[in-house]
Formats: sequence, structure tokens, C-alpha cells
Amino acid sequence: MSPTPAKPGGTRIPSRRTVLRGAFTAAVVTGTAGALFPLLDRDPAATARPAPAPGPGAGSGSRATAEEFAEMYRGREIWGTATVVPAGAPADDRVAVAAEPVTEIRIDGRPLHVMRRADGTYLSDVRHYESYPTLLETARAAVDELGTARLAPPAAHHM
Amino acid sequence: MYTRKNQRDLTRTEKRRLIDAILKLKRSGRYDDFVVMHREYYVMDTERRPRPAHMTSSFFPWHRQYLLEFEKALQRVDAGVSVPYWDWTQDNRPTSSLWAEDFLGGNGRSGDRRVTTGPFAYAAGNWSVGRGVTDEHYLTRNFGRPGSDPVSLPTKNDLARALKDPVYDTAPWNSVCTEGFRNRVEGWGIRGVRTVGLHNRVHQWVGGPMAGAASPEDPVFWLHHSFIDLLWDRWRKAHPKSAYRPGRKPASPGPDRDYVFGLDDAMPPWRVTPRKLLDHSKVYRYA
Ligand SMILES: [Cu+2]
Repeated sequence: MSPTPAKPGGTRIPSRRTVLRGAFTAAVVTGTAGALFPLLDRDPAATARPAPAPGPGAGSGSRATAEEFAEMYRGREIWGTATVVPAGAPADDRVAVAAEPVTEIRIDGRPLHVMRRADGTYLSDVRHYESYPTLLETARAAVDELGTARLAPPAAHHM
Repeated sequence: MYTRKNQRDLTRTEKRRLIDAILKLKRSGRYDDFVVMHREYYVMDTERRPRPAHMTSSFFPWHRQYLLEFEKALQRVDAGVSVPYWDWTQDNRPTSSLWAEDFLGGNGRSGDRRVTTGPFAYAAGNWSVGRGVTDEHYLTRNFGRPGSDPVSLPTKNDLARALKDPVYDTAPWNSVCTEGFRNRVEGWGIRGVRTVGLHNRVHQWVGGPMAGAASPEDPVFWLHHSFIDLLWDRWRKAHPKSAYRPGRKPASPGPDRDYVFGLDDAMPPWRVTPRKLLDHSKVYRYA
């Protein structure tokens, strides 16, 4: 048997994964290393989104406060943002996952795949068995786990 | 019928045959298919789609079938091998024979955390990792995560506490269940209740790929999950009147229940139900 199976379920809602990947690609394609911050202003995904605002949490009353940071941590440039899309916003794929903030983290300009647990905490591809209340802690934990390694370039995120 | 042994009881020859079979599977590309598969079914409990593998009741049966598939693939290479188990409450030191040169190799070196001993050391030319998470192709480990936020391996007491819970799993059948054997063993940290435990904690302790989304890239994954599988047996023996939960799907399942696999729900990608996997005594046994 082949262990590469068909996708489970038949939901038409794009997974947050897909939405994120789209945003990353848009940002990274136009960017070059070192141009992280100017690049953000030109990120079409970012300008298309409503301004960060608190919104309803997913599941059991968890908070979904928007978050934004940019800092050097252990010699790595970490950047992150969580944006809540209010329910009922104009037609957009993201509305389908309105209760979930759209999240992005980059380490040295490379996207870190972030996910969210039912209690609203975040985890990443790099540290996948422990979660954190904020994106900042999630990014720092990923840097700790990476050590000297770099994230894979965005092209390697296909799966 | 075959036997899964404690890894500490393997003979030199058994270790060599297992390693050889793993390396052959790697060379054929089949090993990496298993890595991708684990990633694909690691669905979060905020996602609106079925989640068979993690943060879910079917954590045990899904991984049981996953291990069986891996073992079948190994046995196609060498019919005499099986997946041994690593009892991390017992072999809890970096000096354990598990990490020796003739078996899985040891901890990563300081600096880049690269594993430089054993058959999976990059320089040996048989093992590369990094599909999709990091840029590095050498296997890394970082035992105990020394530094500001270290982790220790779970103890016998930690394990005993989880095995004592007579309930298999509880609603909402996800990563935030505070009660139930399943999440106690899966080990999701819950703020104000408990920190990262058992299964998750071991992933953290090893570090490198084991701590990330491509955890089967480190072959210790299989020995860890063989022990997790054995724990399910131990729990069933300790609580013969307790059943897998959730049972039958209610007439109007709630949102919690929609993406979770009950006793008779077929799990992807194999279309096998948890019920089918409760009793493995005709296939393998633990020694
Ligand atoms: Cu695991």
C-alpha cells in the first residue's frame, strides 16, 4: 500500500495552513534577505486585511487579541503578527476561519509554520509538542529549538 | 505472530538487523513517505476537519496502525525484525545502550547539535533529514534541552498517575481534556493544570526533529511509540471494564465530536476502526 493517502475529509474551507502559505508566498516572492521590514508594507496580504482588532476567540472563550512584534532574539531576527478577521467581513477565504486569527511568524525572514490549539495557545513546526500563549513566546521557543539551524526556505513548505 | 522486545534486551545481531532494515527503507524512499504521512495527519484541534492522529481520542489506535504499517515495511526488507520499545522511565540516561554507537547513536554535539555517532550520523552517508522544517540535512538531538527551559524524561510515578485514570478519554476529545488516560499520556500541557507530560515530553527531551513536525525523521520515534502502544495495553489490563471512548456517534453529534473518531469510525488513510485495533494479540505481543 502507498502511505501517501488522499486528503481526509471533504471540507471546502481552506485550512489555515493554506491561507498562511499564500500570505507567505506573496511576501517572500518580492523580498530579499535583509529587506524584511520595508517588505511588510508592500505585503498585499497584509494591506488586504482589516486593522488588528480584538475578536471572538475560538472554542471555549479563549482570547484572540492581535499581536505584533519584531525583535532580535539570540542573534535571530524574529517577527510576528496575529490579525483577527471579524466575522462578516467582505468575501474572502479568511472569513471561513473568522474565529481564528491569521498568524505569521518569520525567523530571519523565513516563514515559520504556526498552528493553534483549542485553548488558543500556539505551536510551530519546529516545536510541535508544546504550545505558548503568545506568538512571541512561540517564536522564541522555535529559535531555542533551532539552535544554529535555519528554517527551510518557503518552497520546502509544500506538503 | 511476532514479539516486540524492550530495546535494552536486543542482541547485537537484532540491533544490526533492525538498523540495516531501517537504512534500506530510507534508501528506497519509503521511510520518508512515513515522515510525510505523520505530518499530514497531525491535524490541530482548531482545524475544521477530521483529526485522527493527535489531540484526539484515536491517538492510540491511529499510531498503532501507523506502527504496524512501518513494521510491515521493515519486514518486507527483513522478515525477522520488529519495532522494539524504549521504556524511558527505565533507560533515562544519555549513556543508555539505546544511544550507543551500535544502535541509534548518541546526543548531538555542542554547537550545531549534530549527531556524529552511530548509523544515523550524517557523515556516515546513510541518513539525511530536513524535509520541510529546517535547512540542515544532518540529524540533530539536544537531550534534555539544556538552558533556560530544560526538560526531563517522565518518571515511573508520572506514568503510574496516568495509568490510574479509569476513563479512556473525555469530551471535548481534544488537547485540552484535563481528565482521561488518553490526554494524560499524549501529554498536552494545560495551563494551571499540568505541564507537558509523558508522550509529548519525550519528544521534547530528545530534541531536534523529534521535537518538531517531522518527528519520525529520528528513528527513535518508532521505539518511543512502541512503548506508547504498550502503555495502551497496560491501561486496558488495569481497567478491564473501561472502554475506548467516544463510542457510537450520537444522532446529532456536536462540533467536538464531528472530527473525532469513535469506536466504529474508520480512520484514514487505512479505513480501519479503533475497534479493529483493540486486540493485537494475533499479530504481535510485547515481551
Ligand atoms: Cu509521538
